[in-house]
Amino acid sequence: MGAELRLMVPTTPAIEPDDRKLVETIRSGDPDAFETLVRRKTQKVYALCYRVIGNPEDARDISQLVFIKLWENLGKYDSAYAFDTWLYRMVTNVAIDFMRNRQSRDNAVNSNLRLVKTSTDPEQGVIVQRKEVESIFNDISSALSPKQKTIFIMREMDDLPSAEIAKVLGCRESTVRNHLFNARKVMQEQLRQRYPEYAQLWRNR
Amino acid sequence: MITCEAFRAQFSPGSENPALLEHLRSCDACFSTAAEVDPDAMFRALGGAEMIPPGGVETFVGDVMREVRLRSAEKSMSGAQALSPTRKLALAAALVGAVMTGTLLHYQRGSVALPPAAGPVAAKLTAATTRPIVETYESENATIVEMPAGSEEGVAVVMVFDESLPADL
Repeated sequence: MGAELRLMVPTTPAIEPDDRKLVETIRSGDPDAFETLVRRKTQKVYALCYRVIGNPEDARDISQLVFIKLWENLGKYDSAYAFDTWLYRMVTNVAIDFMRNRQSRDNAVNSNLRLVKTSTDPEQGVIVQRKEVESIFNDISSALSPKQKTIFIMREMDDLPSAEIAKVLGCRESTVRNHLFNARKVMQEQLRQRYPEYAQLWRNR
Repeated sequence: MITCEAFRAQFSPGSENPALLEHLRSCDACFSTAAEVDPDAMFRALGGAEMIPPGGVETFVGDVMREVRLRSAEKSMSGAQALSPTRKLALAAALVGAVMTGTLLHYQRGSVALPPAAGPVAAKLTAATTRPIVETYESENATIVEMPAGSEEGVAVVMVFDESLPADL
């Protein structure tokens, strides 16, 4: 009776190079390394773009633009700094520029829409739904300046500490805290005006 | 990931605990409860997860790489077309040389293309035919080049270059 021979080869998990090493490889002329970097960072970059821009198609286009700019400016990256900080700076710059252009274009059109209130009875109990909150966020965050919105997202949704946000934006930590304070105030005010049923959550505190 | 019971027991306003935030962002049941405890958690719950762009990651990466390759090709082509100042100078010098050589050859051909000569009589006739055909010539655009005669008996050659004429005189 023949016995089946199986070779038990111990496998070691593939160790991927860290971001800095990957950048060095790209600089040395390896075309595949940049593709690896794009694949690695796509979801992170897209998530930030989507939260800032609030539209999936625009967010995808802006994310692609970020990677093209990244490729063009990779020679300027100083490996003494964290790669993600540098990447985030690029994302925020491109996204904020896009928002500023769009905001100035849309301001005239949307100025009246901001006063529209929901017909829900404010005294009704609130069941907070994630999808609805996402849509509310996209709606009321348009009242923030592009910079305020970016800071709010990095702090509240990406959990970046104020010091890290300051590095990304190239400003002082106190400036970040100031923007954050104002952003929260504007968001609560917008909720009060347009979604009073949600604003009561703050009132009940 | 921690359980819903653990989350509800531990979650408090302004919580920064990564395990609690992870639960907040993935559990719909605890989402509403957390918003009541800390309204700021309402928006915090939207964060965290990475997102997939429309069309998927691979399509996205493919589009980016296509654009990058296109720009690389354009860059290398424009790099090849760009000339350094030294190369531009050398090119200009070569061009001037070529024009000078062409002009000289033109003159030589002009003096050779005389009526066929055969013997001393013919030479005399040749000398007679090279007398000025045009005595006076006026034009703003013309370039007139005069080649002085080598000796007193020699023939002076005057060339008139004018674009408005069908041929050079």
